[in-house]
Amino acid sequence: MKEVSISKRSLLNFKNITLSLLMIYLALFLVYPIYKAFAGSLHDWNPLIDRYDYVGLANFKAVLTDSLFWSSLSNTFFFVFFSILFRIIIGLGLAILLYSKLTRFKSFFRAVFYMPTITPLVAVSFVWVWLYNPQFGLINQVTGLNINWMYDSTWALPAIIFMTIWKDFGYATVIFLGGLMNLPEDAFEAADIDGATARHKFLKITLPLLKPTTIFVTITSMIAYLQAYIQILIMTEGGPGTSTYVISYLIFDEAFVNYNFGTASAMAVILFLLIGILTLVIFKLSGEKELMR
Amino acid sequence: MKILKIVMLHAFLLIIAMITVIPFVWMLVSSFAPNSDIVKIGGSFFPTMSTFQNYIMIQEKFNFMGMFANSLFIASTVTLIIIYTSAAVGFVFAKFQFRGRALLFSIVLATMMLPWAVTIIPRYEMMVNFGWLNSYKALIIPSIVSGFGIFMFRQAISQISDEILEAARVDGASDGLIFHKIILPMSRNTIASLAIFQFLWSWEDFLWPFLIINDEQKQLISVGLRQFNGQYGTDYGGLFAATSISIIPVIVVYLIFQKQFIAGIASGSSK
Repeated sequence: MKEVSISKRSLLNFKNITLSLLMIYLALFLVYPIYKAFAGSLHDWNPLIDRYDYVGLANFKAVLTDSLFWSSLSNTFFFVFFSILFRIIIGLGLAILLYSKLTRFKSFFRAVFYMPTITPLVAVSFVWVWLYNPQFGLINQVTGLNINWMYDSTWALPAIIFMTIWKDFGYATVIFLGGLMNLPEDAFEAADIDGATARHKFLKITLPLLKPTTIFVTITSMIAYLQAYIQILIMTEGGPGTSTYVISYLIFDEAFVNYNFGTASAMAVILFLLIGILTLVIFKLSGEKELMR
Repeated sequence: MKILKIVMLHAFLLIIAMITVIPFVWMLVSSFAPNSDIVKIGGSFFPTMSTFQNYIMIQEKFNFMGMFANSLFIASTVTLIIIYTSAAVGFVFAKFQFRGRALLFSIVLATMMLPWAVTIIPRYEMMVNFGWLNSYKALIIPSIVSGFGIFMFRQAISQISDEILEAARVDGASDGLIFHKIILPMSRNTIASLAIFQFLWSWEDFLWPFLIINDEQKQLISVGLRQFNGQYGTDYGGLFAATSISIIPVIVVYLIFQKQFIAGIASGSSK
């Protein structure tokens, strides 16, 4: 009896229970779905007519020869690149201003800048649809422009990018501010003794030390923006025409409007590979190894 | 010169702050304005606040507060569960040795890079097969583990010194007791940060409830907002009111946890 209770105790401990539950979860809701997505990408798969037939690489061929896929991909890169670029420039710039000893009301500004980050994207997208309204929207009223933002194939995507930057710059500001606060004091003291100018200090000390933070923001933003679709769904539904289709919206459309699960899975697999490759490239280019320490 | 610099600095920050806040103010002000005033051309930038009618009307036309309550229930439940599971798993990764630890942790990290597009179709099919369509089980159970949460807690719990845990073990405390009595109370900043993010993510999640729930009585607010927009697209006052209501809870959660959250960032736990 005693031996049983000891072995029972050693097996049914906190660590083993936690890890078992974790592994059951991962197997059920992660490993199986990933397997199923890859398998599904090789099938003609439509749940409405209960079809699941093996077709080899036909879905990939269909996707890669579809001009909408390529235009969505190019829109995606445009969206991702400019959203990240301005998120980092504005985020870093404001973090430096907030970090300055001259700045007062720091926590007020920080809280205000962070506000769009903690509001739901669905709601924010609606607010911006009205801001962009050509008749009564605030943007045309304030700027005196007369652009029908959401229905103009030139302006719709840049307008969505502008909204996205407005929503997300505060997160980058707070992360960069955290990075600045964690910089070693002694690097600055040494520079002060050497009589370095403020600009010199910023370029030679602050920026290089913020490299890990910048890479962190770049990678997390990239992963998030490659998957963005809510803005598109609420604000333009891919329009006008197909001018604001991005890859994740195309997947949503293909899967849950057209119910072509097979081609949607093929696109999801391509997106997955794209995220993996781009993440690796950023890591390699930056020469940073210690990020996930 | 220095005074001028300080004034310019604050003027600049104030302009950015206004650009950040004005969309919210405009939404809130318009939600108290009659439709005729919102669409008036050539009037002032902001309509006049003169009525509660929009808020009363959206409730009469649409089960808005019901969806609000549903979302509140789902987002709170999921957030609480994820905080608990993330802390437990994070504790195990931070303070226990076992075979395959590095591999398992990198799998957990990799989940953060996994696009929703990969898992959503198979998960949807699973829910159909389980018979969980239109059920809150489907909204809660697939979401009880978070790679992001586990990562945050592992980082934070690694900072807790082993001596505290050893002392508790010598006193005969089990790992479960250590987790509940020492680890959880010491993880306040991490709990606050995760609560803010996770509540927001659950609250704003659109696609999953859109796919799973088709009964209007059970629907969540993010999907409801879009349905309302589709049915009453020209009732701008009502839309502004509905949107305002759907933003308030996340702001409240943020204000509750803000202090610990900022403390957590300042100590570098989320770098």
